Amino acid sequence: MSALTRTLLTVLLLPAMAHAQDSVDFNFDSSIFDDSSLFDATVRSPRLFTFKLSQQTYGHINKHGGFDISSQPDNQSRGTEINRTGLLVKYQNPFAQGWLLQGSAQAKGYWSGDYEYEANGESIDTELRINELFVQRSSERHSISFGRQTIVWGETEGNSVLDIINTSEFRDLTIINIEDARRNQWLLVWDYFGDASDGNRSDAQSKGNWSTFLNLYPEFNPAPVRGSPFFFEPQFNLSDYRRDQPLFEAGTRWSRSFTGSDIALMGAYLYENQLRYSAPADGVGDALAENNGFWLLGFSANRAIGKLLLKFDIAYNHDLLADTAVFQQGVLPEAQLPRISTRKKSQLGTSFGFEYAISNEQNISIGVLAQRLLNADEGLAVNEILLNDDVTGNILLRYSNSMSNNNLLLMVTAQSALDGASQLLSLAANYNLNDNWAVMTQLIATRASKDSPLQFLDQDVRLGATVSYSF
Amino acid sequence: MKLMSVFFLSVSSMVFAASPTTAQSTQIAESAESRSAREIMSTVEDYQRVISDSAFNRIQLSSCRFGLQDNQITCAERPRVKALESVAINLGDDKRDTKAVTIVLEPASERGIGMLNFSYDDAQLDNETWLYLSALGTVKRIASGNSDDDTEPASVFGSEFTTEDQDTGKLEEYEITMLEEATESGREVWKIQTVPNAERARKTRYGRTVQYIDKERYVALRVDMYDRHDREVKRLMASRVEQINGVWVARSLTMMNLVTNRLSNMAILEINTGIDVPENFLTQRTLTDVAFREAELEKLRAQID
Repeated sequence: MSALTRTLLTVLLLPAMAHAQDSVDFNFDSSIFDDSSLFDATVRSPRLFTFKLSQQTYGHINKHGGFDISSQPDNQSRGTEINRTGLLVKYQNPFAQGWLLQGSAQAKGYWSGDYEYEANGESIDTELRINELFVQRSSERHSISFGRQTIVWGETEGNSVLDIINTSEFRDLTIINIEDARRNQWLLVWDYFGDASDGNRSDAQSKGNWSTFLNLYPEFNPAPVRGSPFFFEPQFNLSDYRRDQPLFEAGTRWSRSFTGSDIALMGAYLYENQLRYSAPADGVGDALAENNGFWLLGFSANRAIGKLLLKFDIAYNHDLLADTAVFQQGVLPEAQLPRISTRKKSQLGTSFGFEYAISNEQNISIGVLAQRLLNADEGLAVNEILLNDDVTGNILLRYSNSMSNNNLLLMVTAQSALDGASQLLSLAANYNLNDNWAVMTQLIATRASKDSPLQFLDQDVRLGATVSYSF
Repeated sequence: MKLMSVFFLSVSSMVFAASPTTAQSTQIAESAESRSAREIMSTVEDYQRVISDSAFNRIQLSSCRFGLQDNQITCAERPRVKALESVAINLGDDKRDTKAVTIVLEPASERGIGMLNFSYDDAQLDNETWLYLSALGTVKRIASGNSDDDTEPASVFGSEFTTEDQDTGKLEEYEITMLEEATESGREVWKIQTVPNAERARKTRYGRTVQYIDKERYVALRVDMYDRHDREVKRLMASRVEQINGVWVARSLTMMNLVTNRLSNMAILEINTGIDVPENFLTQRTLTDVAFREAELEKLRAQID
């Protein structure tokens, strides 16, 4: 029976079905589900590779009201902004008992209209990137893995003060969620799993797990790609970090589950993912990139209360570099340009929120991230002030509604800076035509005040679609 | 949520969609008939627990929109099919609690998604569920949907089976009544009605269920589920009843949503019981540590080959 015939049949039968609801009996032959060929093939010869081919096209559909670097009004609507084809390959091979080799890579082609095409001198550009590649050995209590991989700390998904081990790249506005922006790092990870057995008690939980990592080649967030929506013309060339001294990151986390709750404690030495840049000494050439190493102590917890899941993270960062402004003494502050400097400070941050299952299909989550430097004036010279001693952070709201056995998923994401200086709203609909084909459409609107670092995105609206084929 | 238990307590639990188990009812004054019905329901569930203990099952979950053709329910579109493997053990007093983990093998776009579920017989304890999504890179505790007013339970892997449909235990929260003796699918059955008490009524979407229990095999062949307005909203049909380890089991369960005209079929392709399952396997580690999971699954597979 063709798909069209099935569709017509269904439409014609809808009234009959309505009647069937009232009737007591109808026949059903479950033998139509007897075909187990899919399962048999899966179990006998599991596939090591999965592929996802996608075409993404987005347009910048309104004229925004921002200002360019020279403070000139910039009301240029770009039209097509993203036009690219991507192939994502995932590989997972448990090649021997207790061993795993896992990787994923993506290849992208940037076609006419894409900002990467324009940045490449109006010619087709390509990109190949290994996202994940690690080998793992696991035994009854221990697991050791090495390679490019992800470590996620914290409970508040999307804006946790503890989810800072991996770097991230929000290259354009189609990448909103941290899980899409996260970049893996070369890590050595050792996990120890405590005994979960506790006699005959079914609610006995693990006695606690330890996870420790070492990163001998810490990376940093990449600079914005020229031509991307987040790109701004810098005053100096933003270079990579010069590794003239050995860098390392290390940390450990202890976690435990209780009935209705999970908790974790963690400590680490990390570098801030975003490099700090300062002007070159002679005023020309590359900006000076400076890393920002600090100590982290953190705690996270969740608590399930019926349909409500509460989440809480807290982070204490010690020896974090904070920007200061140093004024010449004897001259009125209003009459001079201060020298920008840094001071080691401590910072307290928290992220908290909840998830609520409105119904079988609908879910809403709200997370708030807030952080503030401690003892703001301590250690400052008399002519020195912190550039930002306020509470900073953001609020993230996510709502999803799945329909038709999860074939259609509607998603709303809204994010705002705590001070209201910038907001983002994304409306997306994802429809799975079948197990292979999916279509997602997305509308993204941004607003920013002139005081916001994102002021160049003020009043922007973008609309686009992604078609993908998984196999 | 009790997502996992469905795959282990499947046959019984479907049935217990809104039914209870333990015969220690304390709150409900019962007639002789209802006591008999309660004993039947308790026996049905006890039988099914036999096949849920230390079990390694392979399940095919198919969903489609359905239509009526020649007075026969049939799929009106090509079904979406998922292949699942699940492992479970029973624990606790009288082994009435269940720990279970289920992993999606197919389709490719969902491969590796796993769920861990702890189901408690004690009505005071909410069941617990953790989900692993590779995109998130971490295990996520799922907010349960069984404690507040107007709760609507979560779907099991996008199917018409919901967490509540898999619910087991907590029989004391129901009034259980024998309606009549009848015939279903050519078998003699008891028609037994379960009605939630006031406390349970706040947690369930069903106002009552009517269960058709095979008098000889103690298997629910059909369950009609009614909403609070006494409208039939879902119907479960069981077939392929076979004897496994001395217990009759329905290996094919079809849940029809009479409101959305969609159905899901759960075909239990393999039921392996009496497997030596280490309790460490029923932990969050199994969701994230693929090397560990595959090594342990190989050991389990070796026991059934």
